[in-house]
Amino acid sequence: MTPFDYHRPETLAEAFRIAGEIPGARYVAGGTDVLVRIRSGRERPNALISLGRIDTLARLELGSVTRIGARATIGQVLDHPELTSAYPLLAQAARPFGSTQVRNLATVGGNLCNASPAADMAPVLLALDARVEIEGPQGTREVPLDAFFKGPGQTDLAPREVLTTIVLEPPGPDARSCFLRKSRVGMDIALTSVAAHLQLADDRLTRVRIAAGAVAPCPLRLRAVEDLLEGRTVEPGLLDEAARLAASEIAPITDIRASANYRRRLTRTLVRRAVAAACEESR
Amino acid sequence: MSDCRHIGKARPRPDAADKAAGRTLYINDLIRPGMLHGKVKFSEHAHARIVRIDTSRAERLPGVRAVVTAYDTPEIRIGFLNDNFALKRDKVRQFRDEVAAVAAIDPDIAAEAVDLIDVEYEPLPGVFTLDEAMAQGAPLVHEMDARGNPLTTNELSLRYGHESGDLAVAERASAHVVEGRFSTQLMQQSCLGTAGCLAELDMSGNLSIWARTQIPFLAQRDFTQALRALGLPGRNCRVIVPALGGTFGTGLDTHAYEYIAIVLAHRTNRPVKILYNREEEFANLSPRQSAEVEIAQGCDREGRLTFRRVRVRQDNGAYGSWGATFPTVMLLPVTSLYRVPNVSFDARLVYTNNTYCQAMRGYGNPEVTWPIESNLDELAEAASIDPFELRMRNCNEPGETTPMGLQVTTCGLKECMEATAAKLDWGAERRARRGVGMASLIHVGGSGRIYRSDGGGVILKFDDFGQINVSYGGVEMGQGLHSALSLTVAEALGVSPDKVTINPTDTGTCPWDVGTHASRGAFIACNAALAAAEKARAQIFAAAEEVFPRLALQNLERYCVQHPDYRAPTFDLAAAVKADRFELADGQIVLRDAPAEPWLKVDLDRLLRAIHFRGSRGEVITASAFYEPQSDLPDWQKGVGNMSATYAYGAQGAEVEVDEETGEVRIVRMVAAHDVGKVLNPQTLAGQAYGGLTQGVGYALYEEILTEQGRILNPSFTDYKIPTIREMSFPVHLEFIETDDPAGPFGAKGVGEPGLVPTAPAIANAIYDAVGVRIRDLPITPEKVLRALDARRAASAGKQTSTP
Repeated sequence: MTPFDYHRPETLAEAFRIAGEIPGARYVAGGTDVLVRIRSGRERPNALISLGRIDTLARLELGSVTRIGARATIGQVLDHPELTSAYPLLAQAARPFGSTQVRNLATVGGNLCNASPAADMAPVLLALDARVEIEGPQGTREVPLDAFFKGPGQTDLAPREVLTTIVLEPPGPDARSCFLRKSRVGMDIALTSVAAHLQLADDRLTRVRIAAGAVAPCPLRLRAVEDLLEGRTVEPGLLDEAARLAASEIAPITDIRASANYRRRLTRTLVRRAVAAACEESR
Repeated sequence: MSDCRHIGKARPRPDAADKAAGRTLYINDLIRPGMLHGKVKFSEHAHARIVRIDTSRAERLPGVRAVVTAYDTPEIRIGFLNDNFALKRDKVRQFRDEVAAVAAIDPDIAAEAVDLIDVEYEPLPGVFTLDEAMAQGAPLVHEMDARGNPLTTNELSLRYGHESGDLAVAERASAHVVEGRFSTQLMQQSCLGTAGCLAELDMSGNLSIWARTQIPFLAQRDFTQALRALGLPGRNCRVIVPALGGTFGTGLDTHAYEYIAIVLAHRTNRPVKILYNREEEFANLSPRQSAEVEIAQGCDREGRLTFRRVRVRQDNGAYGSWGATFPTVMLLPVTSLYRVPNVSFDARLVYTNNTYCQAMRGYGNPEVTWPIESNLDELAEAASIDPFELRMRNCNEPGETTPMGLQVTTCGLKECMEATAAKLDWGAERRARRGVGMASLIHVGGSGRIYRSDGGGVILKFDDFGQINVSYGGVEMGQGLHSALSLTVAEALGVSPDKVTINPTDTGTCPWDVGTHASRGAFIACNAALAAAEKARAQIFAAAEEVFPRLALQNLERYCVQHPDYRAPTFDLAAAVKADRFELADGQIVLRDAPAEPWLKVDLDRLLRAIHFRGSRGEVITASAFYEPQSDLPDWQKGVGNMSATYAYGAQGAEVEVDEETGEVRIVRMVAAHDVGKVLNPQTLAGQAYGGLTQGVGYALYEEILTEQGRILNPSFTDYKIPTIREMSFPVHLEFIETDDPAGPFGAKGVGEPGLVPTAPAIANAIYDAVGVRIRDLPITPEKVLRALDARRAASAGKQTSTP
């Protein structure tokens, strides 16, 4: 492992200053991805800037909108009863996330900034219409999460910028949801994951959001599926049609974990099951 | 043996507390003054000529103390086929070939130095599949054998076979015959403790080496030969085994990195430690061999087996290890699992440019039990007989001699299968997509003779405080050997297990043992310990004739002072004191015929002191025994010989549920029923059974080393998946059948390996029962199940394809 300097600023301003002074420095929060890459030699930063002491990044607030500090750990999300009862999807994604040790370190923001196609928090946050707040030396901006991912390992973040907050709208009075995920064993990178979030009133589906992970260069919304389901009543054949449509919206790859074909099959099944389970969920 | 005080009672193993508290010292923790850290430079090609190695930049790096290659060190040949080298010269034959090594003052510098070594290669065409390797004109992995004779084929010269009865006649006479092709994968042993060693030479050239080994004494022989190669003939070698975090067969061979550590220690005159990290362990140590198996079995109208034909081909990888002798153990299930009168077996091994393979728990047995037990279910279906019923009709029985010549003394297979079926509610109605399956096993239960001696020795040493130190040359690698051994010594000597300490394994202090393999550890150690304890008792009782009366009378005096009204019974003490009338119990020596008076019992430690401190006649008690089991070294080409003193049997069953849309298999519950002879410690036995079953589930469903043109694609636990508590959260019912084997210590058989042997076919048979598809290559991934379901749906829908 090549040596690196380690900085622990207490404010964002200080973090921006250090990042400006050290080319090749990179931010780190939980470190569960970054340290693994450094140890394997895939990444060789000359300095790490820890966000661990900037406490403003770790706030969890529920109000007219919900604000999740980017540095909140997966474990903190899981242990927050108000948050998980308002957004059961968050708990469904957080519960099988890594191991207890990983959940205690890994952060929600880190999971997004790592921009893995298989990031476990991404599909549920996409389905919840999350927006992310980004702060940099030039100021603060907000982008919808589905505009944040640019490719495997690539995000909308400019150099020195920090993702500070994930913003969620209230779930809605008739919200239903379901997150399904498949992997070879429980603790493994997802082969496919699907999150569904929708409103169900008078048997009619509205505000339908379907997102999938690990089946394209970025976690993505399945917009054709959403459009198909929007405003419909659940009738025989509809979910099969949604599943078929889902398979056409994704671009999975073959790797050591599974073939593209199997991922496609799995996505079809999970989309159908997730929407069905969301509709059957009692609130 | 029902009156045992310790044997058969659950008791935490002696190493448990320190391991749980993180206080146990593993190889990782060992430090010697002046110690250097070694690091190996591995090949970057599967098959290539070495054109040039430039070590100059590495040598100049501050902190580097030595850089070695095959070009500047003596040749050290390794492996029982002598086809491997500590450092490679002229060409590399696999990605993990060791081309150079470094010793430096810290591990980071060593790693940096290895990166600075520049090797120029001329790539050669490689062979990566059995068919490629066996094709006419295929590139040769080895151009010469160990004696320098030219080779014309990649096939190893090792030959394994068996022929008994008349197969052609039996096949023609069969009412039902089913054939099939099955395959198994490369499997990682996944030891929690990664490989490592620490080598140190004294000023005279005597070697001490701390090693992750299961064969301290065979390793001592290997390393002594290496000393000779280094120009140190006649020097001594001492192999010390620190606490080990699992071995699972990886310790049956000596490894290139161990010889490299010796070479570096010799070059630098400093202790050198080499420790593999997890990625190195995955990429540069040998996994369990894969196998391709063709099988045919037949039965008559009543379901009695008529014949079994098994053909095995194995990708050996680039070099030979003891793993190349897997077929010696395959012979057991092939010839002797169920009664089958006509058997034909042939196994071939082929060199390729893939990673070379080595032993793992089960040693060839799971590889053939998988096809035998899967194919047996197919035969049962062809014969319209319930699979459990078919197995029962062919069940082995005590007293039989099998086609291999195995002499079955005790056999609890029938009871194991009955327990498995009962606990699975065999034959009960189940919901859709659920099914049950079972499979059985035979394994060596009284060691397995693969060497001219299959024995092991034990030394018992008594001190003035009644503590007994036990030295045994086999290896505690996490399996619980020391628990079984301490309970055995405690039982035999009538002391608390707390008074028994098992010494670290060290060839300098322990008597010879062939190695801890073949599920033989407790069987051999406890038998040797019982023999040593008998000798110790004889010594103690002989000396007690002299010292016991004096100690008893002192007791009586003291007792009378404390109990003034006490009237001692009339009793002729002098007449009762005879060496053969003593007994040891509860940490005391007593006289069998004497009244149960408290003063007639003497604490063992006091007795030992009295035996010690008596002038010129004083003695301290030590006793040793060497136990050699009654078995024969088989003729491997004929596949005949009674290789073990007894045989272990078992059966496992699974209930599974299959998701027909995803292909996922969920295990609902499992049963493991094992003929263990006798339960020594139910706690450690359960650990072995659960652990074996878990590894069996991994073999069945999840684990596989993936390669591409010889390169390992998943060298980490991120990408190589073993089952965790999440996968193992189904109920497992354990059933131990006690058959009180006459050869076993207290009747016990070996239990180390059987736990994973029948797991995969039991699960595969349950999948077939659930959804009607048979998977023939391991692991059974959801993708394979889904593909098989698709194929079946397509076939039943009149050749319509159903994929998107």
